[in-house]
Amino acid sequence: MLSAADARLKLSTTTSTQDAGILDVLLPPFEKKCNCQVNVIAVGTGKALKLGEAGDVDVVLVHARSLEDQFVAAGFGVNRRDVMYNDFVIIGPPDDPAHIRGVMTAADALKRIAAAQAPFISRGDESGTHQKEMELWRSGGLDPQGRWYRSVGRGMGETIIMATEVRGYTISDRGTYIKFKQGKTDLKILFEHEAGLFNPYGVIAINPKKFPWVRYDLAMQFIDFLTGTEGQALIAGYRVGGEPVFFVYGRK
Amino acid sequence: MTPAIYELTAVQVRFGSRVALDIDTLTIRPGCLHVLIGPNGSGKSTLLAVLAFLREPDRGRIMFYGSSVNWSGKELGRLRKKATLLHQESYLFSGTVMANVGFGLRMRGVDREETRRSVKHFLALVGMAGFEERDATALSGGEARRVALARALACRPEVLLLDEPLTHVDQESGAIVENLIASQSQAGTTIVMASHDDQIEKRLPCMIIRLNAGRTPRHEPAP
Amino acid sequence: MGFLAESLRKAVLLIVSGSPDVLSAVWTSLLISANSILLASLLGIPAGMCIGVGEFPLKRVLLTLLNSLMAMPTVVIGLLVYSVISRRGVLGSWNLLFTPTGMILGLTLLALPIVANYSLSAVKGADPRIVPTALTLGATRFQSLFQLTREVRFGILAAIIAGFGRVISEVGAAMMLGGNIRGYTRTMTTAIALETEKGEFAYGLALGIILMGVALGINALLTFVQEKRRS
Repeated sequence: MLSAADARLKLSTTTSTQDAGILDVLLPPFEKKCNCQVNVIAVGTGKALKLGEAGDVDVVLVHARSLEDQFVAAGFGVNRRDVMYNDFVIIGPPDDPAHIRGVMTAADALKRIAAAQAPFISRGDESGTHQKEMELWRSGGLDPQGRWYRSVGRGMGETIIMATEVRGYTISDRGTYIKFKQGKTDLKILFEHEAGLFNPYGVIAINPKKFPWVRYDLAMQFIDFLTGTEGQALIAGYRVGGEPVFFVYGRK
Repeated sequence: MTPAIYELTAVQVRFGSRVALDIDTLTIRPGCLHVLIGPNGSGKSTLLAVLAFLREPDRGRIMFYGSSVNWSGKELGRLRKKATLLHQESYLFSGTVMANVGFGLRMRGVDREETRRSVKHFLALVGMAGFEERDATALSGGEARRVALARALACRPEVLLLDEPLTHVDQESGAIVENLIASQSQAGTTIVMASHDDQIEKRLPCMIIRLNAGRTPRHEPAP
Repeated sequence: MGFLAESLRKAVLLIVSGSPDVLSAVWTSLLISANSILLASLLGIPAGMCIGVGEFPLKRVLLTLLNSLMAMPTVVIGLLVYSVISRRGVLGSWNLLFTPTGMILGLTLLALPIVANYSLSAVKGADPRIVPTALTLGATRFQSLFQLTREVRFGILAAIIAGFGRVISEVGAAMMLGGNIRGYTRTMTTAIALETEKGEFAYGLALGIILMGVALGINALLTFVQEKRRS
């Protein structure tokens, strides 16, 4: 049980980040180092940032670059740093009814899905993944409508499950997909490795000038840890089912 | 003339628009057995409730031992301890006979030992010695009536108010209750008893109060 | 059928192995539910009884209000409390958000109308002679109400049981106010929600089975106490 004297760092992050399991390897060594407890509140990207905007947390870790930039510009956060990245993939049933295997761009893949009216599950929750998805539809000049396009307002995991159930397609971050590949879904990666599917993660401390009560000291310790040698090594070494889930930027 | 215990003046009780009690004057004398006689719905129970300080009249004034009754606040609790009402169909609390009969004593701060003794005494009086540990909710009609009477008597009130104590009761219980009422009266307790048994006039009272539709046409001393 | 069987197997394993996450979730559920129902009872039982027994002009209004509160979706209560205890809210400086205390606050508000309503029913259905009998035997107003409580105690206990059922099964408000923080504000119900979101259905169901076991156990205990008193 915590006592009032215990140092508590409140971190808001996305459900997919927590579900990927990376925090389970990062937090214990950090907590030892800083002699503090990290309380993780995992919600959707939008909500994670909103918590920061209210000063209800001390630090945020999300993957929605444009929103992050707005967040900092509005003065809610300071000291934004890149932490790690992975990418998004388009997954679908192994028999690929919409024939997206082999297309050149992600936008093309979505075009084919729309043309075939194959079931597509959208997260529909303003998350980083959802934002990326909408970006891709727009770049292909598409506005998805119809019964085949299902906006479900759920987390990544449930979205993958749904896509699996209806034998449809969806966009997922690689990390969650790898986790689910272990027995929860038989969908396959049908498109990947495009610059447009880049998914960078950023960590931002909540502005102590705006919210004097936040544990800025602990937040900065956390940021330093994540971007420092130890944190980066842990991230780079993290495997799920033998596969890497996150990648670090090369640092000299 | 001994000073009255109660003096009611222009007392009226309404239930909604219905006038249940409308009394010009009424006097209750100490040590006397008063019998309220009237048909059903004539206001007997209402009058007893007023005398028990359970129902404030909508109009009128009541003098109790010469002082005007103030219906608000602490006063009332004190007054209620002086006049105890036995309802027509008494409610016995869940629990033992002991707990019921001792209730009034506990409310008056009597200690456990003394309460036990008193309860035993009053249970014996109503012919129910040994019933202490019995479940009060599992008694026959007559037994319940007697326990309720014991419970009321244990309060040792100055005024005993009884609502049809002899109605719908088996003969044995009825006889016990009647004898007790008589002995209490002889011992000087003021009693006001509602009844619709006209025969009672011949046996007990010193004052008959007739009620009809809430009104008292006349006071009669007993023949 | 494979689902269910696997879940049962997982449930047994979880219980037997004494997984710290599961133990923590069970403990948190019990702690928060117990505190919430305690507060809700302390406030709700007298409130319900007074409204039931009393005669005053606003009685009808209060009754209607109470009934409406029972139909209030928990998410709304969660949002209301959230808006108050968030740092931006009126009680922001109390630091209640994402703590067990914040959760207790919300869950107490959830259980309060239920406890009050059931208590109200209990006294409304009570014999009207109870209070006058106690009064004429020398009880003060307060003592007579206490006696009334004793006479309707089974109805009151039902109120508490109903309220308890409400809080131990709560997900939405618990999630919103507690943040589902592992080892701190993660209850059985929010843990189940998390596992479901991760697609770990069997694990989630296993937790559900444990939760039902806990709820059953407590209800059985309370019912046993009730029956014992009766005889």
